[in-house]
Amino acid sequence: MYVSPIREPLIKGEKSYQTITDEISAPIAGKPGPLWYAGITFSTLALLVGLYAMGHTVWNGIGTWGANRTINWGWGITNFVWWVGIGHAGTFISAILLLFRQKWRTSINRAAEAMTIFAVICAALFPVLHLGRPWLAFFMAPYPSTRELWINFNSPLIWDVFAISTYFTVSLLFWYIGLIPDLGTIRDRVTSKGKKAFYKFMSFGWTGSAKHWQRHESISLILAGLAAPLVLSVHSIVSMDFATSLIPGWHTTIFPPYFVSGAIFSGFAMVLTLMIITRRTLNLQQYITVNHIESMNKIIIATGSIVGVAYITELFMSWYSGNIYEQYTFLNRATGPYWWAYWIMMTCNVISPQLLWFKKLRRNLTFTFILSIFINIGMWFERFVIVVTSLHRDFLPSSWSMYYPSITEVGIFIGTFGIFFTLFLLFIRFFPVIAISEVKSVLKSSSEKFIKK
Amino acid sequence: MKRTNNYITAYFEDDDDLKVGIKSLLEKKVTIHDVLTPFAVHGLDHLLNFKRSRIPKVGFISGMVGGVSTLLFQTWVFTKAWPLNIGGKPFFALPSFIPVTFELSVLIAAFGMIAAYFISSNIGPGSKNVIYDERVTDDRFLIIIDLEKDNSINDKEKIKEILKEIGAKGITIKE
Amino acid sequence: MNEKFKFEKSQKITFILLIVVGLLSLTAGILIYKDHPEKIWSNILLNNYYFLAIALCGIFFVAVHKIADSGWQASLIRIPESFASYIPIAAILMFLIYFGMHDIYHWTHTESLDHILQGKTAYLNMPFFFIRMFIYFALWILVSYGLRRLSIKSDFENDNKHFNKSRTYAALFVVLFAITSSTMSWDWLLSIDAHWYSTMFGWYIFSGALVTSIAAITLIILYLRKKGYMQYITESHLHDLGKYLFGFSIMWAYLWFVQFLFIWYANIQEETVYFVQRLEHFPILFYANVIINLVLPFFVLMSRGSKMKTSILATIAAIILIGHWIDLYLVIMPGSVGNSASVGFLEIGLSIGYAGLFLYVIFNSLTKASLVPVNHPFLEESLHYET
Repeated sequence: MYVSPIREPLIKGEKSYQTITDEISAPIAGKPGPLWYAGITFSTLALLVGLYAMGHTVWNGIGTWGANRTINWGWGITNFVWWVGIGHAGTFISAILLLFRQKWRTSINRAAEAMTIFAVICAALFPVLHLGRPWLAFFMAPYPSTRELWINFNSPLIWDVFAISTYFTVSLLFWYIGLIPDLGTIRDRVTSKGKKAFYKFMSFGWTGSAKHWQRHESISLILAGLAAPLVLSVHSIVSMDFATSLIPGWHTTIFPPYFVSGAIFSGFAMVLTLMIITRRTLNLQQYITVNHIESMNKIIIATGSIVGVAYITELFMSWYSGNIYEQYTFLNRATGPYWWAYWIMMTCNVISPQLLWFKKLRRNLTFTFILSIFINIGMWFERFVIVVTSLHRDFLPSSWSMYYPSITEVGIFIGTFGIFFTLFLLFIRFFPVIAISEVKSVLKSSSEKFIKK
Repeated sequence: MKRTNNYITAYFEDDDDLKVGIKSLLEKKVTIHDVLTPFAVHGLDHLLNFKRSRIPKVGFISGMVGGVSTLLFQTWVFTKAWPLNIGGKPFFALPSFIPVTFELSVLIAAFGMIAAYFISSNIGPGSKNVIYDERVTDDRFLIIIDLEKDNSINDKEKIKEILKEIGAKGITIKE
Repeated sequence: MNEKFKFEKSQKITFILLIVVGLLSLTAGILIYKDHPEKIWSNILLNNYYFLAIALCGIFFVAVHKIADSGWQASLIRIPESFASYIPIAAILMFLIYFGMHDIYHWTHTESLDHILQGKTAYLNMPFFFIRMFIYFALWILVSYGLRRLSIKSDFENDNKHFNKSRTYAALFVVLFAITSSTMSWDWLLSIDAHWYSTMFGWYIFSGALVTSIAAITLIILYLRKKGYMQYITESHLHDLGKYLFGFSIMWAYLWFVQFLFIWYANIQEETVYFVQRLEHFPILFYANVIINLVLPFFVLMSRGSKMKTSILATIAAIILIGHWIDLYLVIMPGSVGNSASVGFLEIGLSIGYAGLFLYVIFNSLTKASLVPVNHPFLEESLHYET
């Protein structure tokens, strides 16, 4: 396969197939460093805080949250949408970038997909807790019951149940299908008996037969084809929770594509945050290079700008609609009591990513890292703005109200970070962070060794 | 494709050498039982004359089945089992049924394809496939030549010679 | 590898004949629909928009692939690049609308506006409308001609500096089009139903235009291949174009559907009126729109073989071109002409005329440069391309 000489190599250094195996599986074979132990201690503590707060919520009820009759959806839904959004980058990278044959995806897809799965787990906790009686969550499943009543298929909340659970399942399967060959690699390298048995079971008897590879390639491609619209559908359906209503600021047709690009935007920001740390601590700089970071930054600026166009479209249409309630909602967002949330969102999501037009900044790791955290914050505030400012001043001025989160809600939010990072740290300890076999397959077309500069 | 007890294995250390090797083996009328590689080597399926995988078809059929049955189920629930007036919408509220229909078509298509993949490749939890060479998942490209079914056992010396000629390493005969 | 396109006499005559058909049906239309000038003007607007959007999305296609460092399309990029030459013609045709403003746009009747439309006059007023139009065209022509000029220049100098410079132009065009693709649809289409609004509208119209443009690019390439040009375009390239048609058709359907779903679900009169009118008075076209633009491409283009087969790809591309014409028809006509709008000789004839004009301009422009960008840094990748 011919490669143009102006393309930059994706894999640095003198790599052979064996060095790839050695270097990527090194963290699994070796002992973890003090940094890893510090990390897991910290995240487990956060997880325990979260567990306590969740227990408190379930035991005492939703009254422990800051939501009130006017603002009946507060932090819970904000966090839910935020986490689901973060979960979008993984499948976007592995499915849509696979369809677009972006080779740089091979170095980051595995970790990003793992991140997707963990983020969706965190997200799903919020609606389940918000049920108030989470042990009755099975009411949402369509099963024949003695009540003879089925679930309401007209409700966007039910669509969401199907969307999130399908997304979780398909992402998990897709991720695992890709992992099988690499788990085979680990199985053939570990020496201790217990580990061998563990990876032998996990690798599902992978042999590497040409026939299996053919099927593997075929199923990866078709699953990618299915997962691509699935990614778009999930956040679209999340947006329908809002947009099918009559509330000004929620009922707007642009929501689905705008939510989807916002989700990919925030997801990539989280991937950057994690990968910039991971590549340094696991010594993977030659696999996750500055070129990878730059490519991700390009996606950030594209999706960030789409989000910006959507903000402006919404703002313009609220004026253009001639509907006084629409007009007021947007005026209130920008200048009302929550003006600061609106302007944090605007600064972090629309203005700051524009700096990435400069190539120097796109390739600057420190800048990228700081910016990615800015975007994570900005995207959280976007959801907060949508949920809280649209609700807090409704049609009836006597019921106008403000929202203040309770300590329990803060605790649950911290707890989801604990879950997320604990799972991620376990993942980098027991699974190959980079898709070994996929990197090997692009070695000849994209490594420094083979394409002479 | 069950392997018999008499076979030869040999390996290459590069995918391009492997492809050249397979070509000359096939030219010399040696039937290859299987090739094990550390990653998906581009064009290997053409070289070994594999038919196109039928997994996409399985995906299409299971997706269609999933989609159609979900749509029918929702229709049945809202028009026959227990019609509910929700916000004045018609009982058969087609636009409302689309999201769940789409999700379940994708889910069932994915399940169907993965089941087909696991069953046809004999992989899955608890599968006990033979590992010929532990470095196949690292950097070796292994060729397995069956000596009973595909080739005659009497050819074993000849095949060994050919393998040597094409630069294969670690030629081992199992009997 | 220099391949020159020759605009044959027979092709010229055919296209001129098509233009004549258009002019004849326009004249006949003017005579027959003396009392319904809105019918004439709406048809002109429809075709203006349809072909302008094809041209613009062609440039968008070039620009996006350029900034994404895409390799596979390098050998076919001269086709969409040539679409730039239609934009000035489209500008002239669009400014003709000046004489039909009162017939198409209700909001131009400033003497009899209700209070909602009065509130919109800051945006919807004639001077600002034409100032915006002028700005759009000026910027589009500037950037798209810049892109094309740099690309042709690089044929004569084997140096990547032109390519690198054109990436800046490409980025500029993408940013410019990100905004203008929405605003142009608000100005020219959304304001026909002046009371109605939908935030999705701009993106929905854009996605339809993108599919149309890719169908047009595919058809022109298939035609040129049949004529013996561009033999280096292999099944792999066609496969990718087919995937685009498939994927963007689904994307269009997605945007169309969610816009419909939200309005249907919330059931607010000010919003549903748009779909009620279309469903009650144009039911056949309404459903045909979805079937032609989603169901057909979905099932036909799903298999790998059909994306690679010239005859199937050409047929489905042609059907998609008609399908999105219907989509645009449903956007414009119910608002400007009203429930009596129908597809007759004027609609069909005028569109044929515009198609002749479009093809004449494009083919003429193709003769100006080699069909292969010989010094394109990704050309070799494209020539050795295999899916």
